[in-house]
Parts: sequence; C-alpha cells; structure tokens
Amino acid sequence: MHGFFKWSGKWWPGVIPLAMVWAFAAWVSTPQMEANLAARTTSTLNGTVLDKTRIEVAGRDITFAADAFSDEGRRSAVAAVEAVAGVRRVNDETRLVPEAKPFVWSAERDVARVTLSGNAPLPASKGKLLEAARASLNGVEVVDQMSLSRGAPPRFDNAVLLLVDQIGKLKDGKIAVSDTNVTLSGMARDLGGREAIAAALKNLPEGFSVAENDIKAPPYVFQAYKDPVTMSLTLSGYVPDNNVHVAIAAAAERKFFGAKVVDNLKASIGAPPKFLKAVVPALAALSRLSTGTLVVSDREVRISGDALYDAAVPQIRASLAKDTPEGWQVKAELSVKPAAAPVDPGVCQQLFSELLSKGKIRFEPGRASIDPDSAGLLDRLIEIAMRCPTANIDVAGHTDADGEDAFNQALSEKRAKAVTDYLVNAGLPPDRFTALGYGSSQPVASNDTDEGKAQNRRIEFLVR
Amino acid sequence: MFFLLTFDWSWLLLSVLVGFAMGWIAVVQRGRVVSKRMARWLALVAVALVVIAVGRLIPGRPGYWLELALLMVAMYIVGCALGSWLREWVLSHTAPAS
Repeated sequence: MHGFFKWSGKWWPGVIPLAMVWAFAAWVSTPQMEANLAARTTSTLNGTVLDKTRIEVAGRDITFAADAFSDEGRRSAVAAVEAVAGVRRVNDETRLVPEAKPFVWSAERDVARVTLSGNAPLPASKGKLLEAARASLNGVEVVDQMSLSRGAPPRFDNAVLLLVDQIGKLKDGKIAVSDTNVTLSGMARDLGGREAIAAALKNLPEGFSVAENDIKAPPYVFQAYKDPVTMSLTLSGYVPDNNVHVAIAAAAERKFFGAKVVDNLKASIGAPPKFLKAVVPALAALSRLSTGTLVVSDREVRISGDALYDAAVPQIRASLAKDTPEGWQVKAELSVKPAAAPVDPGVCQQLFSELLSKGKIRFEPGRASIDPDSAGLLDRLIEIAMRCPTANIDVAGHTDADGEDAFNQALSEKRAKAVTDYLVNAGLPPDRFTALGYGSSQPVASNDTDEGKAQNRRIEFLVR
Repeated sequence: MFFLLTFDWSWLLLSVLVGFAMGWIAVVQRGRVVSKRMARWLALVAVALVVIAVGRLIPGRPGYWLELALLMVAMYIVGCALGSWLREWVLSHTAPAS
C-alpha cells in the first residue's frame, strides 16, 4: 500500500495525454451522443398525441417542447422522455394547447378554393377533415388554416365530417360551427343541392343544431322559344317531375297547334311552388305571339315577343296577370308584329282553310265557351281576316249528330256567335262577320265513329 | 453511468491504457513527485467535481464533458494502479538476488 502511494505521486505526467484524449473524445462523441438521444427520444414519442413537438439535445440534456391536448398526456410524454436511457436532464417546455371558447370551425368555398379554418381538436381529426375535404371536392384546392385547440364539443369530428361533405354541393358559401350551432350560407352548385344539404343536416350528431341555413338554390329556369319560321316550339330547362313534364308537354301540344315541339326538359327538384300553375298560362301567352321567348326563372315569368295585332297585347297582359299564381312576378315585353300585306279575298279563304285544317277551334263540351287553348289559333285567324279588310266572312258552326237536332242547331249557332264576338273584340268590324249555325246537317265525316264525330264538330270560315 | 460506460467504452478503454502505461513507467521513473499537500488538494477538487457531476449542476454539453472527464480520470487511475502493480510484480520476480 505504501508502494502504491509512492507510485501514485508519479502518475501525474500521464494526465497530459489523458487530457488530449478527453478533448478528442468530447469532440467526437458529443454529436454522436446527441444524435443517439434525439433519435431514441423521437421514437419514444411516436404514438403520443402532441403538436409542435420540438426536441433539442445538448450533451445529455434534452429540451422538450410540445403542445399537449390533456394534462395527463403532457405528463406522460415528459415522463417518457425522462425514461429514455442516457438522458440526464429534461427541460420541460411542454404546454397544453389553448382552449377555444367558443369552439369555432368553418369551411369557406369560393371559385378557386376551399379554406378550412378555425379550431380542430386533435391532429388526427385535422388530418381526417383535410382528407375528407379533398375527397369530396375532387381536385379543388383545399387550404388548411385550422389550428389545434381544446374544448371541442362531443362528436365534433362526426358533425364536421358531415359538413365537409356538404361543401362539395356548394358553388360558393360558408359553413361554420360555433360550439354546437351550425350556420350555412351561400349558393348551391346544382338544382336540388339546397334540398340535399337540408336533408343531410338532419343527420347531424346529437347535440348539434342548425342555427341558420341560408343556402340559396341556383335559379330554377324553364324556357320556351317559339320560332315561326321552323314552326317549332323549343322547351328547355327544368321541370319538377315526370307528371309536370307530361302536363307541360300536353299543354304545349294543345296550345301550339301544328307546331313541332322540341322537348329538352330535364327533371330536377327545387322548383318554386305552383310551378305548373305559372308555366301553363305563360305558355298560353306565348302561343298567342308570332315569335317569342318565355323564361321562367324562380318565381319570375319573363315573356317577350311580337303579338299578332294591337288588341292582343293588353289581352295577353291581362290574362297573364289574372292566371299567374300569387307571389310570382310577370315581366312582359310585348310588341306588335308589323301588319302583313293585304291579300285578295280568295287568298284569305285559302289561308283560313289551311289554318283550320291544322287546328280546330275548341269549346267546352256541350257549351259555347271557347277553350282558352284555342286563343293562339283564333289570333292567327284574326290576323288573316285583317289582311282582307274588304271581305265579308260567314262563320259557320257545325256539330256532330249526337243529341237532339234542336239542341245541336242552337249550340252551333251559339258557338259561331262566340267566335264572331271574339273577332269583334279583337277590333274587327262586326258587320264583316255573319254567325251561322248548321247543327249536324252538314257532316264532313261519318257520325258513327268518335273520330268522324270530332271532324264534324267544327267552325268554318267562308269568305263571301 | 451504465449508459456512459457502454456508449463511451472505447474512450474509457483508451484512458485505462494510457493509465496502464503511465503506471508501468512510474515504478522506475525518477521524476518529480506530487506532494501530499498537493495530493490532498487534488483529491478535494476531484470530490467537488464529482459532487457537481452527480448533482447535475452543470447543464448541456459542459455537463457531459465533465462526466466524461471524471470517468476517464477514474479509468486512468485504475490503469495506473494496474500498470504500477504489474511492473512491481514483474520486477520483484525477475530482479537478481543480491
């Protein structure tokens, strides 16, 4: 032992190379040590729910900064870092993410992009929302401006995922959540989009409610164009369902006698109330025009075109005002077609016959009231009568052989009179027209068949 | 401690070897000897440094370097002791009888 102390007094010179080794070891091993600890700390924290995690290693000391979503999570993460082998000291700079009150979230869509902003409860929910938004928007840019916060109401993720799905149905607008209140505004992308969104909102998780739904539907447009050159009526736009479609097509056939109906209508929900009741009188007005366009957009009826004679314009306006349902607006821009060149009475007769071979003046069954569907035909007859102002015209009524002769005679006279009254109301001189009734005495077809009877029920215009 | 031993084993082994060489030489060297008074001071400094290291009083890299230095010194002393003892043993068994 004595020797040991004796020798130890002479060990000091070795400290010099030892110091050199130490300096070299410190230089080489420090970065290795730090990298090793950083890697193992990072892998230890995999699976913990943290945000903005920052790990800085100096020697064997770790500065650990992160935003945690619960106090328990924060403490367990710090404990996990402290337990990493080799770690000497942990500078705990963790904190709880701020609590949002109220907890708000929103998705805003404009032409180019969708911006998600507000609060999200966890990084995982944020990721899910972004993924869902990208999936439902199919190529539209999604901008993430969400920040993480505590204080989300229960079932927040489910509610917001449902709302993210609705963003795809908007052309532009905003969906916002404040705690459990949902507000929506903007314009639906397609017809029916507003209704689809309203239906989806019924599936919001328990506790969530719609505070305000101000989603507007795109205009519900129905259009009709009457082209006198091609003798066609083109229908386009939307109708609410198949029944309305059939009713409109049938009305068009009745009112636009002889015209080719080009039907490009599509069925879609979202029609304004009383759609059919507004469209049918509007089509009736269009049928009285020489050329014209009808646009029904939401609750507005816009009709423009040329009437066949002066008196028709106020009549058309009046019937539109009377027959269009309440709550609808009518805008009629009507002018009068320039008068056609006068013709000889013989030509007039030919024009009358041609026209009446294409369409018939209709009456209510067994009565002398003119069917409103015949207004278009009567206007054309009036236009022809105006072209031969010197000709006197017999308006002859005929019936089929059903019923008593006296009744048929009287009915034919009344119907002929109703037609002459209509002509006189249009501004034609009453002395040019003579109403004659022939009952069933001059059949043009057999009265044994329905078809023959229909041909026998007629009004003829005879130029004297 | 165990982590440092496993992580820096190569440097510690080198310290043992340096110490062993120094211990081997010291037995036959006729150089200056550290006085007892000085040795006490050095021991005191060593104890103070150990306290600082164990108490983790120095943060960051300097803290690690201090731990590394203390471990290397400890290994050096072990090496010195081994070297000196072995040299003494070798000398005592090979020296001619006088």
